[in-house]
Amino acid sequence: MKVRSSLRYDVAIIGAGADGLAAAALLARAKLATLVIERNERCGGRVTTREFHPGFRASPFVDELPPIPASLHWALDLSRRGAIFLPAPLSTALWPDRRSTIRRSDFGFSPTGRLLKQAAFSVEAVCRRAEIDSEIPARSWPRMLGRKRAPQPWPGAAWTSTSLSQSIGTAVPGADEAAHVCAGALWGRAADPFLAGTALHLLASGRSRTIMGGLERMADALTGAANEAGAEIRCGLEASEIRTAEGRATIVVLADGTEIEARAMISTLDLRRSFLSLFKWSELPPLLLNRIRNFRMAGATARLLLALDRLPDSLAGLGEALRGPVHLAPDFETAAQAYAAWCVGLIPEAPPLTLRVVSVSDPSLAPVGGAVIAVTAGCIPYRLFDGAWTHARREELRMKILAQIDEALPGVSSHILGAELIVPPDIEEQIGASEGDLAGGELAADQMLDLRPGLEALGARTPIRGFYLAGPSTAAGALATCAAGAIAAATVLADLKAGRLR
Amino acid sequence: MSGSTCDAIVIGGGISGLAAAAYLARSRKRVVLLEAADTLGGLCRNAPLGDGIQIPFAAHALYALDQRVVKDLRLTRHGLKFAARDMPLAVLRSDGKHLVLSSNARDTARSIALQSQSDAEAWPRFRGELFALARAMRSLWWDDQALRLGLGQQTALERLSRTGASAWLDTWFESDVLKAALLFDAAAQALSPNEPGSALSLVWRAAQEICGLQGAVAFPLGGPGTLVDALALAARQAGADLRTRAKVARLIVANDGISGVELDNETISAPLVFSTLPATETFALAPAAAAGFAHARDLAADRTRTGEAKVTFALSELPTPGGVALSLGSRFIFAERPETLAYAYRASALGHFPDEIAFEMILPSAIDPSLAPAGRHIVSALVRPIPLAPDGGWPQRKAELAARVAGVLDRHFPSLSQKIVAAEILTPDELSPSRRADVTRMLSHWGERTQTPIAGLMLCGASAEPVAAVSGRAARLAVAKALERKR
Repeated sequence: MKVRSSLRYDVAIIGAGADGLAAAALLARAKLATLVIERNERCGGRVTTREFHPGFRASPFVDELPPIPASLHWALDLSRRGAIFLPAPLSTALWPDRRSTIRRSDFGFSPTGRLLKQAAFSVEAVCRRAEIDSEIPARSWPRMLGRKRAPQPWPGAAWTSTSLSQSIGTAVPGADEAAHVCAGALWGRAADPFLAGTALHLLASGRSRTIMGGLERMADALTGAANEAGAEIRCGLEASEIRTAEGRATIVVLADGTEIEARAMISTLDLRRSFLSLFKWSELPPLLLNRIRNFRMAGATARLLLALDRLPDSLAGLGEALRGPVHLAPDFETAAQAYAAWCVGLIPEAPPLTLRVVSVSDPSLAPVGGAVIAVTAGCIPYRLFDGAWTHARREELRMKILAQIDEALPGVSSHILGAELIVPPDIEEQIGASEGDLAGGELAADQMLDLRPGLEALGARTPIRGFYLAGPSTAAGALATCAAGAIAAATVLADLKAGRLR
Repeated sequence: MSGSTCDAIVIGGGISGLAAAAYLARSRKRVVLLEAADTLGGLCRNAPLGDGIQIPFAAHALYALDQRVVKDLRLTRHGLKFAARDMPLAVLRSDGKHLVLSSNARDTARSIALQSQSDAEAWPRFRGELFALARAMRSLWWDDQALRLGLGQQTALERLSRTGASAWLDTWFESDVLKAALLFDAAAQALSPNEPGSALSLVWRAAQEICGLQGAVAFPLGGPGTLVDALALAARQAGADLRTRAKVARLIVANDGISGVELDNETISAPLVFSTLPATETFALAPAAAAGFAHARDLAADRTRTGEAKVTFALSELPTPGGVALSLGSRFIFAERPETLAYAYRASALGHFPDEIAFEMILPSAIDPSLAPAGRHIVSALVRPIPLAPDGGWPQRKAELAARVAGVLDRHFPSLSQKIVAAEILTPDELSPSRRADVTRMLSHWGERTQTPIAGLMLCGASAEPVAAVSGRAARLAVAKALERKR
């Protein structure tokens, strides 16, 4: 890697997550001097795998990634670099009291499959609309959807004004199957499935899949693509401020005081952090500032990583189902109750749990004979109503989760060698997601899709010239991997070409 | 079984039914109105409570009566008068910093400034925007036409149809009291103030008009029953046949549409039937004919989880607010923080009694002394949201609800609970089978909602409106549409 002596670049990208790396690869390939600044020592952001107990590894934040648009996957040559999506596994629901299980595959010709397919089409429509709205020239760019297709019908009211229970209830026969689909959509989130607008969660959850060999492979592949294209990636650097001149972003100031000049900047941080922590508030338009301060984050995910000396019999009995997520006792009412607790800052009585025995599909994560279970709990508040996440509160949550698991799958806790609990404030601290919200903002109708504040239409442009947003808070960000980065990169290229950034 | 024939039948003798009957009779149709109960008026009637006291049975203040219904049916000539035309809205606070919003801009500004200076400055701007949007939305039911809007207004309304009322108010105001007062109205019809679209229901409420005043609340002289009497008189004078204790057992549907109704002991044939019953109940009267309609299935899936309850007390003495002088003709809202409503909604939806109840209270006898004998007074409180079926069941918890309301009132009107001589509690199932506000349809042309898949059967009650209210609007629209089609 060539280190440039002068600190002037064409494009500076803040954050080396999937979006930042994809944007860097595409911009560097267009012969622009591109710099990526990453606060952590490693690239990847949430797309990472680490050792949490000697010999046992797991992805601490997410188990799976939303899909990468096919043409982008191809353009970045990710398969050759080792990032291969595993086929969508079975998803299982387990009710301990009835000892019954329901399994489903996401891609069947069942009513459930049709509903999820509809959601996937809507996600494509969002990406496509983002491209069109950003006026990205047709010929300069490998289109996200590859083909020249007319825009899909806009996924408007169907998703934003119906409740999850209603949209699932009308499409899916059977109460158990419906509860299962609901759990699949709300996994690790907080929402009342009976409230209007929660159907949006179906959009943001469809078709997520894992990477062969762990998520780390994806981070490595993207880093490789960016490096090969000639982008410069600097880890361990934190952007502390963006200076503006005449309404245009000009200089990124690092935490150590270094100033970096760039013609365009792409932030992959979430919306709130991008605007409120990088800019002087007095330099932001007052209306924008007001809307961003009112933008709601909804961190609700806790993760419990378990290292087991062997796979307990109760689990081994599930067989092939272990390749996919196992939702414990999903139920609409319980979800609503957990949401009510989350709203007031309480740890719910029965947080909705999803287990994933990650070592089954990827044996390299555990030593021979051992097993790794990643448990995702939803509706875990970022702020507890009575104070901080102390050791005692964490212990309480850990006990609650383990008790619930033991009830459904006896014997799990007697095999535990080590465990790590990650609560929303940890996620905020480790990957910088405000309030630990991995979706980049509450998935509510008034702040999703075209109503995201601080963004023009569905694209990456912000009211500040030369400052672009990628990352989870953009319209496509929460719905697809890398897509937001690619849209931002294409927008920068289009603007540079049109002379809008002189 | 005897049979008779007429031009049109109206099912239900509430405000909508009476208005429909009056409109039909005025167009020289032979109309029969069938009311199952002993008295006309439905939820809008007056009811006696103990010695000589008349209480508003369910609806206690009017805010949506369509001015054109008043004019067309000459209701003023038939006895409709108002005792209060624009009731101020008051929120009482434990610390004495009460909030009073009235038509007097200067007083209102001063009152809001007590809570927050910046809110007082934002208030006129908020009212300006709210009322501009409301006027735009009104073209929907005033002209019975598709929405005619500027592009900016269209975008603004669409945005609000996806915004929660509390999130919207957060962008305007900082004072909890002010927000809570406004949110109480947005929470009507089983909507949570956080739910997308509840912001639009605030606009809807501002678009209502009574006595020619936009967004006002009025109280008729003699209670809401006066409106029933005026409508009934108008209908009778025009020649309508109003029958009580006439319960419809079945709708008679032939191949080409409706041909009449069947009562317990007679049948009445008519080519037009107007139903003010909820859509589900209407279709239940003709199960075979309605079975195949997707519309009927949709309606069945449209369940609510929360409702409203009404608590009425008769008092032996006029309650006096502790400390400050306040107009007793106000509508008082008891919800100190915006979260009160959100929490109450969440608890109610899960079937629990909320820890903190939110309600609206008026003192009908202070506005119109004729409702009670000298010295006696009435407190009428509308509690929402409240569970449709709380744990333990309503029969057991009625008294608890009354005690909770009295407890809150005691804080602001010292020793009010000792003056209670009689109480009446209406639970959500008695009050009305409530339906969720239909936010998505608020912005579309809703004239079609009066039509049903069965030719000749029209809906003209609350089911036909996006949000149920005492308005008479749906009746006027349904009759106009039916007669137009006939011609």
